[in-house]
Amino acid sequence: MSLARKGRLITLIGLGLLALVYVRALAFTPVERLQGPAQKIYYLHVPAAIWAEMAMFLVGLAGIFYLFLKDPRLDRFAEASAEAGTVFASIVLTTGPIWGKPIWGTWWTWDARLTSTLFLFFLYIGYLLLRGAIDDASLRARYAAVLGICGMCLVPFIHLSVYLFRTLHPQPIVLKPSAPSLPGSMLVTLLVSFGVFTLLYVGFVMQRYALALEREEQERSAHA
Amino acid sequence: MPDVPHNGGYMVAAYIVTAVILLGYAISLYRRTGKP
Repeated sequence: MSLARKGRLITLIGLGLLALVYVRALAFTPVERLQGPAQKIYYLHVPAAIWAEMAMFLVGLAGIFYLFLKDPRLDRFAEASAEAGTVFASIVLTTGPIWGKPIWGTWWTWDARLTSTLFLFFLYIGYLLLRGAIDDASLRARYAAVLGICGMCLVPFIHLSVYLFRTLHPQPIVLKPSAPSLPGSMLVTLLVSFGVFTLLYVGFVMQRYALALEREEQERSAHA
Repeated sequence: MPDVPHNGGYMVAAYIVTAVILLGYAISLYRRTGKP
């Protein structure tokens, strides 16, 4: 089975399981008393946020190794991870304001967490535009690796921004040094959702990697 | 004890937006990798 087909299968399984996450979150997870049903946005927003940040971290990591090893597989992976990360960042930046409106009373505020996440999204867009603008493959990979490393440096800042600045954004209730402060059934829904988003990330990256490989082969045969 | 807020519409909107983004990207990848 080709990489693209494997990726498609994983994505399909991920989307099927996402439907089950929807059912579990909407019908079998209790409604939070103070925030109401809008709190359930959390089960999509948080896994998407984790993967938006993780994807950029992996882009940077692949960039570091690429600069040393010059292995095109690392560059292909970085490209694939960046595109998947852009998708997850889009989810974060749409579900966040939809949650913010009923809870904070505003769609958006320029606090450190929100602004740095928006900056991450722009970095993703810039990264993909940079890749599209350079024809020479090795130059493109080198420049993209440097930008990816810059993006990777932003990730810890985004996570710690709620501790470093006074922000409206809630502090982490799961990814923190002490035990998660989320009731059991809510925590299970969150973890299952995170597992499904992980599966989707893997499926997306595999398909996008296969696409990059396919394009390289086409370019090579066009030049031959 | 305060009443639970009635904001289910926002929840539904967020769930629909997420599904549209993920499905849209999955279809885009399917179409791009499926080309001969």
